[in-house]
Amino acid sequence: MSVSQSGGEGMQQIDLTKLAFPQLTQLKNQLDSELGVVQDSLQTLKRAQVKFQDSKESLDKITPSSQGNPIMVPLTDSMYVEGKIADADKVIVDIGTGFYVEKSIPDAQDYFKRRVAFVTLQMEKLQFIGTEKMKIREAIIEVMEMKLQALQAQKKAAASVASSSS
Amino acid sequence: MVEEVQKKLESELNLFKQCQKEYQKTLNSRQLLSAQLNENESVQKELELMKDGGGEVYKLIGPILVKQELEEAKQNIKKRIDYISAELKRHDDTIATLDTKQDGHRENLTKLQQQFQQEQVAKMRG
Repeated sequence: MSVSQSGGEGMQQIDLTKLAFPQLTQLKNQLDSELGVVQDSLQTLKRAQVKFQDSKESLDKITPSSQGNPIMVPLTDSMYVEGKIADADKVIVDIGTGFYVEKSIPDAQDYFKRRVAFVTLQMEKLQFIGTEKMKIREAIIEVMEMKLQALQAQKKAAASVASSSS
Repeated sequence: MVEEVQKKLESELNLFKQCQKEYQKTLNSRQLLSAQLNENESVQKELELMKDGGGEVYKLIGPILVKQELEEAKQNIKKRIDYISAELKRHDDTIATLDTKQDGHRENLTKLQQQFQQEQVAKMRG
């Protein structure tokens, strides 16, 4: 009667119907927490993607003709001083772990393009993992329901046998 | 007899919990390390893409940016990646041993639980 449901991520195949109820519950809880991590990571990646995209777009506003243009430089959140763009050809980009690199505008745009592509790729991978885990979770719930129904049927049968024999 | 088994069960449970805590701690620091490794690797890739003399490299030290030679920056990153990789491997080993240890505790716990239940039944009957 049992549909053999295999929940595995390539590395191991387990016949869910062979697992005991507590094990299924444990597995489901584990998957729930894993899914939470996946969702959190996706959100973090999304934020990073937006950040890189914004940085890239703001580079469009710096053209050679903006050399010498006045800008307001924030000293604190609420205080600015007037400045001038001294060098409209180069920007300094934070590439992580405290390293900053001087880049020309097109190079910097390339950098941000690369970063956005990288983050997008990671998001796609994570999305795939997320849907896989979702599928396994659904399979587990299905098997759990099946087991519950079987258990109830058993109880009913036992009760009817007991009542008819007495 | 029941009390004895219960005592054993409690001490085993404590050991198991301790083991779990340690496992979680190691796992957390492993995650941190792997994130750092990722960041360092992307920085390394970025530095490799730099041409010699094609722009300056700065290192943020406290609140100031210090100019650094490209070669030196590359070496620093490589050293850091080596260090983090070694740390990561060490953590993986710890996690593996803790894993087996945890499984052992779990097995003991189920055994003791069964024993406890049997003793209780025996006591009720007796």
